[in-house]
Amino acid sequence: MNKTVTINISGIIFHIEEDAYEKLSKYLTTIRGYFNKSEGGSEIMSDIEARIAEMLQGKTSAIKQVVLMSDVDFVMDSMGKPEEFADESNENRSTAENTETSNQDNEPVKKRLYRDADSKVIGGVCSGIAAYFDVDVVWIRIAMALLTFAFGMSLWVYLILWIVIPQAKTTAEKLAMKGERADINNISKAVKEEAEHLKKRMEKYGDDFKNMAADGRLAPRNTIEKIVDFLGDVLTNIGKVLLKVIGVFMVIIGIVFFLGLSSSVFGLSFIADGSSFSEWIDLLLLDGKDFYLGILGLVMFAGVPIIMLIYGGIKILFKTKYSNRWVNLTAGIIWLIGFLLMLYIIGKTLSDFNKTAKVRENFSVVQKDVLFLKMHETPIVTSELYESDDDEEGEKNYRRHSRGDNDYMIGSNKGKKYLLGHAQLNVIKSQSGRIEIVVVKEAKGANKFSATERAKNISYVVSQTDSLIEFDNLFKVNNADKFRVQDLSIIVKLPVGKTIYLDKSLENMIYDIENVTNTYDGDMVNRRWTMTENGLKCFDCDGLISVGDHINGLDEEVDIEKDIKIDVNGVNINAKDAKIKVDSNGVKIHSKESKVTIDKNGVHIDSRKQ
Amino acid sequence: MVNSENTKAQMRKGVLELCILSILSQGDAYPTEIIEKLKETKLVVVEGTLYPLLTRLKNTGLLTYRWEESTSGPPRKYYMLTEIGTTYLKELHLSWYELVDAVNKTINKQD
Repeated sequence: MNKTVTINISGIIFHIEEDAYEKLSKYLTTIRGYFNKSEGGSEIMSDIEARIAEMLQGKTSAIKQVVLMSDVDFVMDSMGKPEEFADESNENRSTAENTETSNQDNEPVKKRLYRDADSKVIGGVCSGIAAYFDVDVVWIRIAMALLTFAFGMSLWVYLILWIVIPQAKTTAEKLAMKGERADINNISKAVKEEAEHLKKRMEKYGDDFKNMAADGRLAPRNTIEKIVDFLGDVLTNIGKVLLKVIGVFMVIIGIVFFLGLSSSVFGLSFIADGSSFSEWIDLLLLDGKDFYLGILGLVMFAGVPIIMLIYGGIKILFKTKYSNRWVNLTAGIIWLIGFLLMLYIIGKTLSDFNKTAKVRENFSVVQKDVLFLKMHETPIVTSELYESDDDEEGEKNYRRHSRGDNDYMIGSNKGKKYLLGHAQLNVIKSQSGRIEIVVVKEAKGANKFSATERAKNISYVVSQTDSLIEFDNLFKVNNADKFRVQDLSIIVKLPVGKTIYLDKSLENMIYDIENVTNTYDGDMVNRRWTMTENGLKCFDCDGLISVGDHINGLDEEVDIEKDIKIDVNGVNINAKDAKIKVDSNGVKIHSKESKVTIDKNGVHIDSRKQ
Repeated sequence: MVNSENTKAQMRKGVLELCILSILSQGDAYPTEIIEKLKETKLVVVEGTLYPLLTRLKNTGLLTYRWEESTSGPPRKYYMLTEIGTTYLKELHLSWYELVDAVNKTINKQD
């Protein structure tokens, strides 16, 4: 028992055994391959198909309905091998060229891009391109060599072209490789020929149609078939042009992406030569190798689709039907490896952020009634700060950094590099009756243990001289400990009745210290604060409230019921520093410094300053 | 060994055009008929040769064709000589006889 396939040759239905079908189909495809480039190729094809249909019809009957392998063999025997009669047509064509009566058939050999293995240095790519554009191969080679300096681009391009472009093996291919010059003249000629060709075909279809109509034996099947054929031809041509445009776009987009990728990769490797970027990478990744593995992963992951895009575009442009499934397979594997590599590096790095640990260290304070808190005289780092290396005003620059402005920095001291972070200072009420200073260090790690180790490794100095306590403004993390969201805060615990003075230098360090007057951090410096049962209270803040009144003045609410009265008697406004009173006696406007009165005695203006 | 088959094939190819035109001068025919006649005289070994040739002759204006429905298969393309074709054939005839004469003379002298 054999499976059969139903096919339609020249409008006749045949049932054909599957293997016989394979053979016949391959045979017809080969013939089509020989003729589709020559004038009237489709016509020859349909003639041949009609003949085959006729022959197969002779081989089948009501009893033997199925076309067998032997029938196909018979057809192929009597038709002959495609190369036999195709050569014939070529030779006839060359004799026809010499005949004066005919010059229509001499369609030039379409030029195609091949690799020229006969004059190759590496893969024959350059010589093939040279043949295609009809220039001396030396120029192409020089261009390729020069392109090597542009991010090593020609290496990639060469590899792609080597894979994409087939080698010219047969004589026909070698001829097609050299072919006619593909210059502007020839291109326009080719376009004209194509148009002519199309016109001729249209006329032919018209003729066919007329012939059939004239014969009065109009076969609708054929007419429709021919119209469909014609429309098919038109669509194919439009499709071909569209395909070329798409090909060009694919190549252009691919090259743009490619340049982007290679410049960023080369840029990364270049930056990796000592700028802060590489230091950050170094601080993030566990291992120096990881950086290069990551880059490799990125190149593979992003590069493969880009190269495949260019590859596809070139294939469309140069009509290379040559396809190699190993190329796709290899590309897929490389892409996957790149993907996994990136995943591995990212996963490995992220896993080191897994757990958080906090370490509390107590600084033993010599108890005093009043403590002066300030920043260390020579704040660490500023001079060591990278960005202020050649900057004489580094200190100033630094001072302007506030928390959140630039949370982490990289500093270096005698070639040793470390990460710097801002410390925070908070003051709360002590429950123990003693002044305590606690330094809370925080870091992340793969596990609790490594996180704790890292937190302990954060170096930070608090020092006391008499009643002066000084703090570092930044904490330091050794490069080996990596960046693992280290954080540090100082908690000053103050018992009730004790006083601290917050120096101006702490302005950027103090963070949200609660106090009874709800004074902003920035306003708390340069003042003395005493701990009361209710919280910190300002000692020398006379005028603070007025000074601290912010420009918008919304800080202190005004009691409308009590302080502003507008009724039948008049207007009465009582503000802290000003009074306005309008009543039956007249108008009084009092402020701290001046007084304006309008009453039965006239207008009086008093100013204290005068 | 020199393969004489190739030379023979070349000879046949050379005169194929003449033969096709001659067959058609005896009356319109569709490819299968032409092939059968050529096969009788062993001028054509493989049929495939014929189709490109017919198309070319038609395109050069020596032949034209009309469709005819067939009772037992696809519609047939009946080829016929055009006026140019007829004149062309006459020329070919003349030169063919000249050639045969010349060739015969040459061959006979050699013998």
